[in-house]
Amino acid sequence: MKTILLSPELFLGEGGIARIMRLYLKSLCELAAPGEAVVAVVLNDFPGDDSKLPRYSTPALHGVLGCSRSKWRFARATLNQAQRDARIVCGHLHQLPIAWLAKRLNPGLNYYLVAHGIEVWRPYSALEVLAMRGATAIWCISEYTRRQMLRFCPQLDPRRLVVVPNTLDPFFTPTELPPTTPTPAAPKLLVVSRLATTDTYKGIDTVIEAMPHFLRLHPQGQLRIVGGGNDVPRLTALVATLQLQHAVTFTGIIDDAALRAEYANCDIFALPSRKEGFGLVYLEAMTYGKPCLGARAGGVPEVINDHVGVLADYGNIPEIAVALDDLVRHPRDATTIRAHADSFDFTHFTQRLALALR
Amino acid sequence: MCGIAGVLAPNLDASQREQAVTRMIRAQHHRGPDDQGLYSQGPVTIGMARLAIIDPANGRQPMHSADGRFTIVFNGAIYNYRELQAELRAEGWQFRTNCDTEVLLAAFALRGAACLPRLRGMFAFAIWDKEKQTLFAARGPLGIKPFYYARLPNGGLLFGSELNVLLASGLVERAIDLSAVGEYLARFSIPAPRTLYQGLQNLPPGHSLEVLPNGRLKTEVWWTMPLPSQPAIRSLNYSDFVYGLRAQLEDTIRAHQVADVPVGAFLSGGMDSSAIVGLMARTGVSHLKTFSLIFDEPGFSEAESARLAAETFGTEHHEYLLTGAQLAKDLPRILATFDQPTGDGINTYYASQMARAGGVTVALSGLGGDELFGSYPSFRDLPRLNTILPWWRKFPQGLQKRIVKGLRSRADARALKLADFLASARDLHELASLQRRVLPEAVRLSLLSPEARAHAERLGPHHPMLDQFAGDLIGADAFQIISAWELRTYMADVLLRDSDVFSMAHSLELRVPFVDPVLLGWLWPQPAHFKHDPQHPKRALADAVADIVPAAIRNRQKKGFALPFGAWMRRELRPFLDETFSNSSLANCPWLDTAAVQTIWREFLTGTDTRAWSRVWTIAVLIALVNRPIPARR
Repeated sequence: MKTILLSPELFLGEGGIARIMRLYLKSLCELAAPGEAVVAVVLNDFPGDDSKLPRYSTPALHGVLGCSRSKWRFARATLNQAQRDARIVCGHLHQLPIAWLAKRLNPGLNYYLVAHGIEVWRPYSALEVLAMRGATAIWCISEYTRRQMLRFCPQLDPRRLVVVPNTLDPFFTPTELPPTTPTPAAPKLLVVSRLATTDTYKGIDTVIEAMPHFLRLHPQGQLRIVGGGNDVPRLTALVATLQLQHAVTFTGIIDDAALRAEYANCDIFALPSRKEGFGLVYLEAMTYGKPCLGARAGGVPEVINDHVGVLADYGNIPEIAVALDDLVRHPRDATTIRAHADSFDFTHFTQRLALALR
Repeated sequence: MCGIAGVLAPNLDASQREQAVTRMIRAQHHRGPDDQGLYSQGPVTIGMARLAIIDPANGRQPMHSADGRFTIVFNGAIYNYRELQAELRAEGWQFRTNCDTEVLLAAFALRGAACLPRLRGMFAFAIWDKEKQTLFAARGPLGIKPFYYARLPNGGLLFGSELNVLLASGLVERAIDLSAVGEYLARFSIPAPRTLYQGLQNLPPGHSLEVLPNGRLKTEVWWTMPLPSQPAIRSLNYSDFVYGLRAQLEDTIRAHQVADVPVGAFLSGGMDSSAIVGLMARTGVSHLKTFSLIFDEPGFSEAESARLAAETFGTEHHEYLLTGAQLAKDLPRILATFDQPTGDGINTYYASQMARAGGVTVALSGLGGDELFGSYPSFRDLPRLNTILPWWRKFPQGLQKRIVKGLRSRADARALKLADFLASARDLHELASLQRRVLPEAVRLSLLSPEARAHAERLGPHHPMLDQFAGDLIGADAFQIISAWELRTYMADVLLRDSDVFSMAHSLELRVPFVDPVLLGWLWPQPAHFKHDPQHPKRALADAVADIVPAAIRNRQKKGFALPFGAWMRRELRPFLDETFSNSSLANCPWLDTAAVQTIWREFLTGTDTRAWSRVWTIAVLIALVNRPIPARR
């Protein structure tokens, strides 16, 4: 059997969907039985193998077809690859109609959709509904996403919507840094996010606004904000308005090694975002044993429980401050936090995917 | 029915905690004038003010389990306590009272939080587990009884039955939450879990919380709406449905009459209250007392209909003529009872006052019938709008923006509301989330200061529980979706909250037989077309009580219960409102835009829109609440 993985991107960028679809590629390759082939058709990537490809593939991979952002080329490559007994794993809802068409041409073919998050929390076009109803299964990254899909498309059979949580990239593991101990006298908070005006729902401004309350309780507290984007001027102005320059640092965009160091050196990871489909970034922090603050919204409550962090209502500044204080006063056990992150590791992911493919 | 209070604070000694809880109990004396109690152990002090309804002689609180491990303070009533008592006795529990409080205590001691779904009644309670050093609290499924709380330093918790009670503790600040102001201007009320004050939380209906020994707080959802489809209890035809409904109604009425004190009823003369009173009479209540508000203003009073019902059911009927002058005179006292602002509730205040003066301690109300039987306009309008949305989405975005802008440039309230729907709603849930908004979004934002506006924009126009409510309704039909939204927003956030505050202000226990989990559980999966006939609102309810409620009431056009506020605000309430909208009053509300607020008031005085009063009143109550004198701590 041939497995065709459709994805908007794999190696062109470092967006959330590209990162998780690489892991789908790796997992599908590992699950391929002897003689079975995996082919990736990628809309935005350019032809030619990426240097990272060996990490995310096995010999079962028979090629990555980059379509150079040409939708026509993407459709043609997909239909060319599709065979009677193939299965298509579709990495984005926008690409699902191609899979539906492939099934019309090859009725024995099965196709699956990976439903990530915000891109499927909306009403659907008639074509999308048609394509989703024809899918063998829809793999939702969280129960929240599953419910959102059933909300906006009640025609879907709930039994076909299966939760397959995202996983951590096995290549993003903590480096050998000296173990850190919590610093309750000068707690260090960390935010990692894209700082774009389209992403204000991440709630970074609410963490900043909670800082005056937090600093009253922990005057030596520090907040480090990792990331860049066009929302930085607004956030910087907010810091200035609240006179927090002494306590808030914007690092800008940093490389992986520096990011690992930030995770390792912080005491609490905070991102009280309203629209996280899953919250992979919390898991990244948890691999370093760091407790997380998230919002009681989206898929986050499925990742952050009381043993590994705390939840606050989105936009509720006093509650965010209290939650941060709670994490300082009642440090979560780092071993428990790492174990929780391990339950979402790549091995577990591949096992879940194998079950979902049955 | 009581007021409960407590402080869990490892950093305070027992005498500091007891002083705080004593202040809190004093602040809610009206909720429980019959008795009060206090208990301290380890880091906790809990207390209560009791209104004795069931087993008045023996139901003292805080109540302890025989082994002293568990201690409870409980606000509410468990109607199936005798049934549960028999079960628990069979499991070996030795009861010392015939009080529902002890039944709840025993149920929790034996089953923990798993006891909650078995409770039929209204409740908010807290239980201290001396052995585990944990504090558990829960609130009923639909939010009839309140539970407010605040975190204290070092993992502590403060809780009480009213916000005024929390503030009276002296352990929390009275700081206005800017986001809550925006929420209030949107929808007459502040939806849980937020309250008007920073850091003070409202435990949402159907939630529980637990404070662990290490100070960590866990909140959980223990109740969601029933499954939308349950073939086993679904009626096969309309006759079976009506027959079944009658049996369920009689059952809930019987359950809600459980009391060892006199029980009466509010009787507005509408279908719901007439059905309640008729069923009470049918189920054997003798010497029933009923209570109605009447008005001089033509078009508002339902006195004739109420009198007809009272005569038919042979009740001792009491009427209270409410005038604008009386309201103006009482307003300072009424405002003192508010713990959060509300644009509603004055009717409950006076009806409760009359009922208590008329000699009853418990009164039944028809609240909830509109939500269950679909008699609000939302049941008609929202499905229609929902059919438009797919077409609307096909319009180019530029055209959509132009249309919305055009609608927003009109002064017509309906056009403004339509603009909000089109701009922000994507499905029936989002339509339902928006439809109870009292101020259109553009107007709401214009009334706020820039800082408060930023908070409002961050939260957006939708109800804060949109995701949870929508997630609970997977597979529900349109009627169920709208019914659930009405039950969980307007009814819970406005009607039930106001009913609790204003009935308890007069030490009256108000019970709501339509808001019953057993009735809801049966009615919920029934076919929508049985429950709701668009041509004849409440036909199902009318048919179920056709043999007892007079045809003149059953066939009457639905008339929402409204007070003649528009006229009163231009006359008797004018001095109060002039003062409220003055520069000096507004100076204490820096989160409002003074000029915009004063413009709304002036436009009301010169305008002709008869419905505009509610917007003005809503704002006025908020301003007045902030300006009212803060009671001295005693």
